[in-house]
Amino acid sequence: MLTRLKFVPMRLLQAVPVAFGVTLVVFFLVHLIPGDPAEALLGAQATPERVAALRQQMGLNDPLVQQYWHFLVRLLHGDLGQSYIYQTPVLGLVLERVPATLMLVLYSVVLMLVISIPLAIAAASRPGGVRDHVVRVIPLVGLGMPQFWVGIMLLLIFAVTFGWFPVGGYGETFGEHLWYLFLPALTMAISLSPIIIRSLRASMLTVLESDYVATAKSKGAAGRGLYIGHVLRNAVIPAVSIVGVNVGYLVGGSLVIEQVFAIPGLGSMMIESIFARDFPSVQAVTLFVAVFVVAVGILTDVVYTMLDPRVDLTHRSDV
Amino acid sequence: MKSKLVSLTLVGTMALGGAMLTACSRGSSGGAAAGGSTAAGSPVKGGDLTIARAQDAKSMNNILTFDNSSIFIFEQMLEPLFTVTPDGKDTQPLLAEGFTVSADQKTYTIALKKGITFSSGAEMTSADVKFSIDEDTKHADTGWGFINSAIKTVTAKDKYTVVVELKHAWAPIIADLALFSNAIVPKDYGGKTMEEFYQAPVGTGAYKWGEWKKGQYLKLVANPSYWQKGKPYLSSVTWKVVPDSNTRKLQVQGGQVDINEYPDWSSFKSLGTASNVTAKTFPSTELDYLAFNQNKKPFSDVHVRRAISAMIDREAIVNAVLFGNGTPANSLLMPGVPFYDKSTPGIMKDDALAKSEMAASTVPSGFDTTLLIPSGDASKLSTAQIIQGDLKPYGINVTITPLDPTANHNAQQNMQYEMGLSGWTMDIPDPDEWTQFAVDPAGGAKSAYTNYNSTKAIDLNRAAEAEGDKAKRTEAYSQLQKVTAEEAPFAYLYYAPYAYAFSNKVHGFNVTPLGNYPIMDVWKSN
Repeated sequence: MLTRLKFVPMRLLQAVPVAFGVTLVVFFLVHLIPGDPAEALLGAQATPERVAALRQQMGLNDPLVQQYWHFLVRLLHGDLGQSYIYQTPVLGLVLERVPATLMLVLYSVVLMLVISIPLAIAAASRPGGVRDHVVRVIPLVGLGMPQFWVGIMLLLIFAVTFGWFPVGGYGETFGEHLWYLFLPALTMAISLSPIIIRSLRASMLTVLESDYVATAKSKGAAGRGLYIGHVLRNAVIPAVSIVGVNVGYLVGGSLVIEQVFAIPGLGSMMIESIFARDFPSVQAVTLFVAVFVVAVGILTDVVYTMLDPRVDLTHRSDV
Repeated sequence: MKSKLVSLTLVGTMALGGAMLTACSRGSSGGAAAGGSTAAGSPVKGGDLTIARAQDAKSMNNILTFDNSSIFIFEQMLEPLFTVTPDGKDTQPLLAEGFTVSADQKTYTIALKKGITFSSGAEMTSADVKFSIDEDTKHADTGWGFINSAIKTVTAKDKYTVVVELKHAWAPIIADLALFSNAIVPKDYGGKTMEEFYQAPVGTGAYKWGEWKKGQYLKLVANPSYWQKGKPYLSSVTWKVVPDSNTRKLQVQGGQVDINEYPDWSSFKSLGTASNVTAKTFPSTELDYLAFNQNKKPFSDVHVRRAISAMIDREAIVNAVLFGNGTPANSLLMPGVPFYDKSTPGIMKDDALAKSEMAASTVPSGFDTTLLIPSGDASKLSTAQIIQGDLKPYGINVTITPLDPTANHNAQQNMQYEMGLSGWTMDIPDPDEWTQFAVDPAGGAKSAYTNYNSTKAIDLNRAAEAEGDKAKRTEAYSQLQKVTAEEAPFAYLYYAPYAYAFSNKVHGFNVTPLGNYPIMDVWKSN
């Protein structure tokens, strides 16, 4: 097994230029956003003199290339700079926010699988039947509803009306995190499940028609044993890739969800930082998200390799 | 079977949710109007007051910080010598006992209250006062120190007496000293650097530093040695960051927070329909206006400015933007500001006047122009669209130009606009903070970036600044309001109140016209 994971160190090395590219693009892109951090900080009533003095103090008058060079040098020393808003190191602020986003994303993946797998099995076990039609319509509804609307509806019903969950927030303990994050994770799961259900259903139908399933059936395999032991294990491989790809989407979705549910994660930090023109924070969050997405990509390949012994990524030309 | 149940439940949930949202949005009137936080019974000690707000604070540094999200918090810890009265129109002593002023109006001798301690336990003396005011003045370039521009020296005469000597007679000085940037902190920051001190500031206020999880919440706890005996009532106050306005609304309705700061006007009335929530407006000092760049033709023509002012339907703007919660503006000053003259003959919608002024102008048959607004601001966009529609029948074709808020601000500051939407709120209970900015080019802002340069207005404003006699000051400001109404450097649009929604458990919550809210008088029933 370990020999088949030889590609991992190479992929990790390749993540370095990716991260570098991200810093380059993000650094120059955020500086293209119209607006001035000093003005954003001082407010609309600030006089030009005060804005100019603050710009000087913040080093914003230096040439952009020089500012980027300083950023890279600091980055190599593990320093992501000072937040313009809070005047404290950005790294600390980001690290405080990472757990909430990470937990939200993982929680969403778990709920997404809990929702998708039974529904996909239900649909694939009777193709063309009522159950199948219902399951194929539900995804369309799920895809059609905007995430923020779903989130607000869930809050209105389960938090305000029934009082089962808190209206936003994150909590203090692990148990509270699970309780507070249930509705936001469910919101994200609802929006992504349709894709997984459709993919899983399609690949299960393909697998069901394969020779080895026919062989298994001829040997007496049936019911739950057939689906879990033979069909699901093989059908799940394409779904793993889709889940992997969509984790990146989930991180993007957390921008909206963290706003709606007042979760102090990277998404809400990103929005807050963009509005305040807090360039160091925007750069740091983007860098973390990029590294996270690259890591998920590698992890997806690892899972893929483990699920299917025929897959060997060590000699892939593009790895 | 189970899978079907899950799916159907989801669909059902969404449908039910939609129905409930519709029901919510249909709700109106209810408890949206008056009442709410008036005391019910005797104050109860203890409890945590939770305030949900869109933005986190930025810094606790009262000298260098400009955003209200920070100011409203550090004001609970850091107290100045004087404070604003509850109606926001005057000052009253806080850490000061009182003051006397010399005959030439240039020397103020301020007596301090004795026995006041900082939350650290050290006694507050004149040395702390001198340090604090000097420190504020020192940071005029990057902070609020410009407010102290009239101050020549501050002297600690004895332990409980401070003498403030002015460069020239300056009537707003006591109001200036009531500004949060002049709040009293320990001399030399208690041996710390400025940066270290403001990580956990120490003041004489009812609350002291608690905990700040940036982006999440900021908590202050009661100062047990507060000099006003018996106060504060609450054990702690927590400001929670809840960026989404819908979530803030649901949190106050669901009882998860006690106060919703700045709910959206669109949902304001429906907020008060919940039996446990009061939605209330408080008079403010906000003035929203249309600015004309008088560097550009035809806005240098007073007839054009007067004509446009007479074309605008302010009631329509109040209804569209504030959902009726506001009043059309008639004056340079706001109702919450001292010396506001209700009878100012401000130009309101008047078709005949608009026509006659256009006929008398350099562009009688109309012209094309642009209206600058900050992008992403739905209120400003609605206002701009109404103005665009109002001006069209008179041959004035307006193109709305949205720019990113800070780029918009830049364009206005650099006079790269023709017409622009803007607004102002006051930080001190004296009109000078605004009038100096708005009508005096020497105020450093080219008359609120309009290039308005009226000798009459400048003279009246300077006379009011130097006048110690209240009656004469009132007269000067009335004249100033009349002159600016006639010369129309701005088309005044509306006065907007402050909106808050709070749980019925909250008592004694009051917002001054300056926008701040002292929490030492607030208590929560069980």
